[in-house]
Amino acid sequence: MQPAVELNEVSKSFRVRRARSGGASARVRELFRARTETVLAVDRLSFSIAPGERVAFIGPNGAGKSTTLKVLAGILRPDAGEVRVLGLVPSRQRHALAFQIGTVFGQRSQLWYQLPPRDTFELLGRVYDLDRRSHAQRIAMLTAVFELGSLVDTPVRHLSLGERMRCEIVASLLHSPHILFLDEPTIGLDVSAKAVIRELLRTESERERVTLLLTSHDTGDMERVCTRVIVIHGGRLLWDGPIGALRRGYLKTKRVTLWSDAEHLELAMPGVRVLASGSYRTELEVALDITPLGRVIDAAVRVAPIRDMAIDDAPLDDVIRALYANADNRSGAS
Amino acid sequence: MTRFIRRYAAFARIAIAQARRERAELYGRAAFFVVILGVFSSLWRAAADAGLPVAAEPRSLVWYLAATEWIVLSAPPIHLDIQEAIRRGDVVYQLGRPVSYVIAEFASALGLLAFRAPLLGLAAFLCAYAFTGWIPPLGALAIVVPFGLAAAALLTALFLWTGLLAFWLQDVSPVYWLGQKLMFILGGLMLPLTVYPEIVRRIAALTPFPVVLGEPASFLLKDAMVTPGALVRNLAIWCCMTALALGWIFRRARVALTINGG
Repeated sequence: MQPAVELNEVSKSFRVRRARSGGASARVRELFRARTETVLAVDRLSFSIAPGERVAFIGPNGAGKSTTLKVLAGILRPDAGEVRVLGLVPSRQRHALAFQIGTVFGQRSQLWYQLPPRDTFELLGRVYDLDRRSHAQRIAMLTAVFELGSLVDTPVRHLSLGERMRCEIVASLLHSPHILFLDEPTIGLDVSAKAVIRELLRTESERERVTLLLTSHDTGDMERVCTRVIVIHGGRLLWDGPIGALRRGYLKTKRVTLWSDAEHLELAMPGVRVLASGSYRTELEVALDITPLGRVIDAAVRVAPIRDMAIDDAPLDDVIRALYANADNRSGAS
Repeated sequence: MTRFIRRYAAFARIAIAQARRERAELYGRAAFFVVILGVFSSLWRAAADAGLPVAAEPRSLVWYLAATEWIVLSAPPIHLDIQEAIRRGDVVYQLGRPVSYVIAEFASALGLLAFRAPLLGLAAFLCAYAFTGWIPPLGALAIVVPFGLAAAALLTALFLWTGLLAFWLQDVSPVYWLGQKLMFILGGLMLPLTVYPEIVRRIAALTPFPVVLGEPASFLLKDAMVTPGALVRNLAIWCCMTALALGWIFRRARVALTINGG
């Protein structure tokens, strides 16, 4: 089966202006000859995504996530490497590709600010050459699914951020794209609005078999929407695999919470760190490659009777933080 | 072709809908006519009364100024919208659509122009009439209106060109202000170019500004600067050159594109 997205050794750099340091003479020189620097945003990046997959695309700020999305959408041209989206080369076939992809940029807006979202939806119907009747049906269907109700006829400036984001996603789905690129779609949203957006994205992707590529700094977005994660750092691929494998495979630690008869459970073992202790509850972080979990439980039982326990993988935030820190150390060392 | 027109007409329509909700700026521009025409009608009357040479009959000059200001004020400041879209990064949406960014922006601006021009034209007409108590021959007005609209559309395209510079510049207002001042002088905003020194007129002829302002408005004077046929030709030449310049600068902008936030 042809991949929905395929990148092969893709690089993209930008020339950015850097202010000259120094006094007045440096500033005068700056007027005539600006000092520029080349920043490598994406560095020989390769990955592929199968149709219908929901992939989280993460990395620290400046890692090259948004640049990659823009290269995939045909907005930016790569300097080197091959890109194919649905079999098309985005930089050369942007027009044809635009009919088959949708984009959502969390910090940008495609809705006309003074007008109700419906006006933008109507415009998009023309932009994508949609049949008037089927477009109206599509608007009605998505409006119902995303529970927009009267919001669709309310001027955008009166909508909350969460309501606006639902409208932005509907606008991006109107032409029934095969792929949806989402750049931080839940940024700035409150907990309940985030939950709504995540649920809608997941169900829409399943219902219409839309491939999702989602960038976010929020691990909740990844865990609740996506099944696979691609991590980049400094424009290079750091990790690519199922989210569960990242949780379990990268950081070999477990969180163990014990409820015992002892108010404080004292456990001094190599590879075991007490995260919290008190009120008959002890939270431990266990490094499995140093001490097996069974030995920790045995030791705890010997100290005091255990009434209950919970064993969890390390939080994804911790895993990702460790992943970034390792990458920083490696790039620092090299 | 029909699909092409329908698609870009949709941009014009939505821009009109948005303009209807943002009328405050338009009212401000209409009020500007009262001030500017009031001041200049008094000035030219006083100059004529004092025996100073004036370019034409004072009341004709007021109507000339009303026409040039109508053209200038009707052209929407699209360069600011483009600059803001690039600064905020909203341009990524527009660039990712299966439409020409430049044509879509121009169509939106023409929508705004179609909304503003009739209202500002009415304001210009009423103010000029109120300050002169005279209406130029209807034949002259019938020529000025379509040429004025075409000139305002060309001016809008020039603003669009200025706006595209925002792909390189953080702030295009210095370019805009420079262009505007040149246009006021070389276009003959307040006085017809016929009263300017020969050298200025020669320089002006190398720019699109007389075609945008002085030439269409001069039909309200006793002696027009050009014939309607010559103005059609001049407008066509400058429209073609502006279209080429827009295409060229946008192709370069796409290559040089960097977008805020990645």
